Amino acid sequence: MQLLSGDARRAVFAPLDDGALRSEAVVRRVGSAIALGLLGDGEQLPAETELATMLNVSTMTLREALAELRGLGLVATRRGRGGGSFVQARDDVLAELADARLAELATTDLRELGDVHGAVASAAARLAATRASRVEIARLRDIVDRLARADTVTGQRRAEGRYYVELAACAQSVRLTMQEMDLHLELGQLPWPPAHAPGLLDRIVACHRAVLDAIEARDPATARTLTEEHVEARTRWSIELRLRGGEGTADRREVS
Amino acid sequence: MTAAVPETVAAVVGEVVEGVFATVAEVHAAALRPAAREGLRTGRPVLDDDVRELLHRPGQLAVGLGLVVAPRPDRGLPLRLEWWQLDPDGGRLRTLEPDLRPTSLGYYDYTAAEWFDVPRRTGRRHVVGPYVDVHGTGRYLLTLTEPVVVDGEFVGVAGADVSVGRFEAHLLGRLGPGAPFLLLNGADRVVLSTSPRWLVGALVPPDGIATGPATAVPGVPWRLVPVEDRSLLTA
Repeated sequence: MQLLSGDARRAVFAPLDDGALRSEAVVRRVGSAIALGLLGDGEQLPAETELATMLNVSTMTLREALAELRGLGLVATRRGRGGGSFVQARDDVLAELADARLAELATTDLRELGDVHGAVASAAARLAATRASRVEIARLRDIVDRLARADTVTGQRRAEGRYYVELAACAQSVRLTMQEMDLHLELGQLPWPPAHAPGLLDRIVACHRAVLDAIEARDPATARTLTEEHVEARTRWSIELRLRGGEGTADRREVS
Repeated sequence: MTAAVPETVAAVVGEVVEGVFATVAEVHAAALRPAAREGLRTGRPVLDDDVRELLHRPGQLAVGLGLVVAPRPDRGLPLRLEWWQLDPDGGRLRTLEPDLRPTSLGYYDYTAAEWFDVPRRTGRRHVVGPYVDVHGTGRYLLTLTEPVVVDGEFVGVAGADVSVGRFEAHLLGRLGPGAPFLLLNGADRVVLSTSPRWLVGALVPPDGIATGPATAVPGVPWRLVPVEDRSLLTA
């Protein structure tokens, strides 16, 4: 199978350095790649040995992860000629997976993730205010318009991820762009706050638009501050969801 | 080493750019061979294997090249590229296979990219950058393209990528010491700078930084602007 070589795929199949609980890390990575559309419905995963090498896990660990993904219904395996492991995009399963992941994390883990995302995104916003061309700003506005119109959780997640990744590209920085991609693969493993409180989507959209206004006005300080504050608000939404824990998710499937 | 007076620098930059456009012209010519035209019509491969070897030619500045095809959904011809790039280390050739599914976060929406859209609209060659080729190669690039037209119809662009770092190293190596200058593209973005006050990729305000008249670079909408010569390494 020919592997895509885009920067997003590089991130999906980058070696895992989570240390312990490797098979769960594989499950989470694949889950968020599906949630972000980086792995499409019906798409074939690389062969087991190849995938194990890419992710830097043992074949045994990979098999455990694939078994888990099959159990969840996110991957189907067909035997024989033309066989292999195929992606099944299921929003309900992805939501359960995200809730389960949230329950495993401490509020400090969420804060740490938010701190790094805030640092990267606000730096990108500040630089974009002096480096983004008019055409690029218009493209960012298109993405935010798509986010406002998206009517599925996956559609919203993808537009949101694209906004941050392209904002970093408009900062003319390959490194910030890669960082955003990696961060979204982690953020994609967590619940999407507007799925729990739909009004939040309007707040996200309004904030992105305010940042783009500041970028267009060539006001780096405002672009930076607004981004920083917004990412911090996002972090608090995740932390509140974590603290509410289990509410309304009593019949949730446990992932362990 | 050349003495870096603006006219000389502009001539050297122009020559370097023309060298890359010469490679683009070879890719373009390859896309017009009879078998290639067949491929454009049917969706089969267009470029012969010899085309990618242009990347290994001595003195080649390009790190990627190929053909990017205009999609024709009405004829069942989807988005597609035949593009090769040199591995940053080792110089091995790789085929670029970006994500072309619109539903993906990583969708490489190249028909909206300036290097594709401008030649399509204007019918003329174009140079874009520096820019981050997000979702494509993921590199920091200058991309040079020209439209490929068959029987009066735009069928795609032939092009080449030059890494911004390699472009800088090549030019700094060729140019002798001289008064600091900025090389600006048509959007007032810094392509090359020999002053630490102005960084590559920055948009500079159109007025107020030049210390003398600008010098046009032949063949591309770029210009050289002399800037203040004062070190930052002061206490």
